[in-house]
Amino acid sequence: MRSGGYTLKLEKRLRISGWEAALIPILAILFALALFSSVFILAGINPLMAYQQIFAYAFANPNGLPLTIYRFIFLLLCTCAFIIPFRAGLWNIGMTGQLYAGALGAFAIPLAFGAKESSVSHLAPEILIPLMLIAAAVGGGAMGAIAGFLKGKLDVNEIVVTMMLNSIGFWLVSFMIKEGGPLMSPGGEGQGFKLPPSLYAPQIVNVPFTILFALGIAALLYWMFAKSSIGYQIRAHGSSPAAARYAGISTVKIPLLVFIMGGAVAGLAGYHYFATVPGLYRISSDYGYFGDLAFYGIICGLISLGDALAAIPVALLFGGLSVGGRYIQGKLHMGFGVDYALLGVLMITLVAFQFFYRYKIVWVKTEEEKFDVRVHRQVP
Amino acid sequence: MQEGLLEGIKRGDTVLEARGITKRFPGVVANDHINFEIKAGEIHALLGENGAGKTTLMSILFGLWQPDEGEIYIGGKRVKFRSPEDAIELGIGMVHQNRKLVSAHTVIENIILGHPKAGKILNLKRAEDEVKELAERYGFAVDLRAKVWQLAEGEKQAAEILKTLYRGAKVLILDEPTSALTPSETDRLLASVKAMANDELAVVPFITHKLPVVLAISDRVTVLRRGQVVASLETKLATEKSLAREMVGRDVLFNIERTKVEKGKPILQVENLSAASDKGFLALSGASFSVCEGEIFGIAGISGNGQRELAEVLAGLRKAEGGRVMIEGKDITHASTLERWQMGVGYIPSDRVEVGSIGDFSLVENIMMNLYYDASFSRQGILDDAKIRKHTAEIIAEYDVATPSLDTTAKSLSGGNLQRLILARVLSRKPRLLIAHLPTQGLDVGATEFVQNKLMEAKKDKAAVLLISEDLDEVLSLSDWVAPIYEGKLMGILSGEAAKRENVGAMMAGLSLEGQEL
Repeated sequence: MRSGGYTLKLEKRLRISGWEAALIPILAILFALALFSSVFILAGINPLMAYQQIFAYAFANPNGLPLTIYRFIFLLLCTCAFIIPFRAGLWNIGMTGQLYAGALGAFAIPLAFGAKESSVSHLAPEILIPLMLIAAAVGGGAMGAIAGFLKGKLDVNEIVVTMMLNSIGFWLVSFMIKEGGPLMSPGGEGQGFKLPPSLYAPQIVNVPFTILFALGIAALLYWMFAKSSIGYQIRAHGSSPAAARYAGISTVKIPLLVFIMGGAVAGLAGYHYFATVPGLYRISSDYGYFGDLAFYGIICGLISLGDALAAIPVALLFGGLSVGGRYIQGKLHMGFGVDYALLGVLMITLVAFQFFYRYKIVWVKTEEEKFDVRVHRQVP
Repeated sequence: MQEGLLEGIKRGDTVLEARGITKRFPGVVANDHINFEIKAGEIHALLGENGAGKTTLMSILFGLWQPDEGEIYIGGKRVKFRSPEDAIELGIGMVHQNRKLVSAHTVIENIILGHPKAGKILNLKRAEDEVKELAERYGFAVDLRAKVWQLAEGEKQAAEILKTLYRGAKVLILDEPTSALTPSETDRLLASVKAMANDELAVVPFITHKLPVVLAISDRVTVLRRGQVVASLETKLATEKSLAREMVGRDVLFNIERTKVEKGKPILQVENLSAASDKGFLALSGASFSVCEGEIFGIAGISGNGQRELAEVLAGLRKAEGGRVMIEGKDITHASTLERWQMGVGYIPSDRVEVGSIGDFSLVENIMMNLYYDASFSRQGILDDAKIRKHTAEIIAEYDVATPSLDTTAKSLSGGNLQRLILARVLSRKPRLLIAHLPTQGLDVGATEFVQNKLMEAKKDKAAVLLISEDLDEVLSLSDWVAPIYEGKLMGILSGEAAKRENVGAMMAGLSLEGQEL
C-alpha cells in the first residue's frame, strides 16, 4: 500500500514489550465489536445500544451476572483442560467427552449412595460432595487417559482420538440418562435424576464454590509451568519432543500424564455445570449444548497462548458475551444464533490479531523503491 | 529478460558488487559496511568463523534479507532484491547446505521443479538433454532418472548445482559445499567448480574452516571477522596459518597435542552390539569394544555407516537388537536414557539444533535439560531458579558462550556458540563416559579448537570419551584408539600410534587391515 511517498510494510518483530502484548488483544476485541456492528446495523439496531445492552446484561444485571459467572467457571476449567496438553505440544479436542465422563462420575456417587430412591436426605454432603468431585476428576481423567496412552505408546493422533471420544461420551450420557438408564430421572423426560437438596453445591455469595477450583487450577498451572520440574518437562516435550527425549524425558509418560490431568480438569467442568448451577442439579436433556460450549476452551486457550492466568479474563469475556448475546437475541428479536455469531467473529479476530505478536506494520519511504529490479526491467 | 545485465560479460569483468552492506540485528552488527566483489571466471572464497556474517551477507546477495545500508550492483547497474526470485532472475544462484530436493522425485523432475518454463514450453525430454549437456560440460556424474533418495550426498549436491545452473545462474553461491562430502566426492566437486569458473561463471563457495579447500581452489579469498572484512587477497599470497589468524584474530594451533593419561579401569564395555536403523534394517552389527577412563576411543567413518545408531543405542534413545552395553561393570542395555544420565553418561548429539537444544527455550532452560532431574537443583519437584541461574551463568562464562543475556533463546546462538552451550551443559555434569557424535561438524576453526581441547580435558579428568567423527584428521589427532566403521561393522581397532591416514582411510572404505576387500 502506498501513500504520499510512503509504503506500508510488514516487518518481523524481534521482541515485544509487555504493554504491546496487552494492547493487541484489546485492539482485537474492539475491532471485532466494530466488525460485528454491521450485523446490528443490517438489522436496524443501533450497535452502541446493542453492545451497551450485551455488556450491561452480562456483567451488571442481577439475572445475567450469575449466568456469566457459571459460564466463566465452566469455560475456565475447559480452557485449563486444553492448556495442559497444549503446553506439551498436544491437542486436546476432547474436553466435551471428558466433561461428560466427569458428570457421569459425579452423579454415580449419589446413585451409589441411594440418592435416587430416597428423596429424604440421609446423605452427608461433607463426604459426598468431595467424593463427587473426585469421581468427576477420575471420570474425566480416565477419558483423557485413553487418548494420552494411545498417543504416548502407539503414536496415534490425539486429535482424532479425542474427537471420536466426544461422540462416544455423548451417546454414553444419552444411554445413562434416557429411558431405562441408571441415571434416569424417575419421571423419564430424557434427563438425569435430580440431586437431593442436601447435595446442592455450597455457594459463596451466590457463586458456586467451584469458582475457587477454577481460579486455583489456573494459578496452579501457571506456577507449575514456571517453577516445577514436571512443568518444565511438559514444556520441553511441547517445544521439541526429540530434544526432550534426549534430555531423558519420557515421550510415553508425558502424553499420558497431560491427558490425565487435562481430562480430570474437564471432568470438574462437568461436575460444575450439572451439579452446582442453581435450578439444574441434574444432567439436563440439553447437555449437548454445554458439550459444544466446551469447544470455546480451545479458543480461549489459543488466545491466551497457553498461559493459564491470561485465560482468566479471556474466559470471562467469552462467558459474558455468550450470555449477553443470547439475551439481546431475544430482547431485540434478532435471528437465531446471534450469540454464537458474535463469539465466532471475536474468535477469528483474536486469532488473526496474533499475527501482530510476530509482525508490525511500519511506514517506509518509497524513495528506495526506484532501485527496484522491476523498474530496471523497463530500461532496455 | 534480465540477462541483459550480464550479457557480454568477459572473464575478469565484475559481475556482482556489494558496496557498504550493513545489516544490524538487535545487539549485533552482522554486516558492517562490507565491500565485496565477484568477477566472472573467478572462484572467490568467503571465509569466516560462525557468526562472522557470511550467511547474512550471502542472504542479502540472494535477496533473502534486505540490507539496512549499502548497495548491490549487477553488471554495473544498481539493483534491489525484494526476494530470492528477483536474485534468481538476475542470474544469482545459491546452493544451500541443507538440501532442498524432493526425495521421492527423480533428479530431472527436481531440476525442472519451479523452472519458469516447466509445463509450458519445457518438456522433460528436452530438459533432460539440456541438463545432461550441462552435467557433461562440468563433469557432474549423476543419473538424471534416479530418485533423489537413492543418491549419495555428493550426487544430491550435483543435482542442486545443476538445478541452479539450469535456471540460468551466472553467479553460483555454494554454502559450505564440502561439509557433507567424502574426500573423493570433494575432489570431484572441486574439479567441477574449476570447470565452471573456466566457463566464466563466478563461483563463491563459502567455507568456514576447511582452509586446505580454500587454498586448493580459490583465486581470491575474503575473510570476515565480526561483520567486517578483515582481509581480501589473492589466494596465492595466503597460507593456511595466515588465513586462520585473520579469521580468528590470533594464532591457531592446528594439531592438538595428544596427552598421555595413565590408563584406568574400563568404563564402557560393548559386546556384540546390534541396532536397526529407522527404516528397520540392521545398521550396526556385532560391535565390540571397550573404553577405559582417561582414553579417547575414536570411531572414524563417513556418516551413514551406523554411527548414529551406535551413539543412540549407547544413549538409550534406540533399542539394541542384540548384544550388551555395560558401564563400570553394570549392564545398562535396557536402561532408560534418564537412568544413563544419572549413572554418569554424557552425550553430545550430532544434531545440535533439533536434538541437542531447544530453540525456543532460554539458555537457562537449555542448561536445565540436564538439571531438572537433579535433586540438588530442586526441592520436591520445585526447581531452584536462583541456583540454576547461578550455575548457568558460571558455566556459560567458563565455556565462553557469547550471548547478550541468560534469557536469550538458544535459536539465536550461532553454531559454535550453541555447541559451547551443549558442551558446557554435558561436561559440567562431569560424565564418566562422554559420547561425542560429530562434535565439530560445521564449526569454525576457533570453535573446533575449543571443542577438541574440551574433549582432551575430559580425558584428563579421567572420563572415557567415545569420539564419533567424519573428520579423519580429528580422529587421528585426538584418539588413543581408532576403530574405522563401514556398513555397520567396526573394521578393526588400531592404537593411536598405528593408525595412519592411509590405513584408516582404506578401512573406512571397506577394506580390511590386510588390504583385502571384505
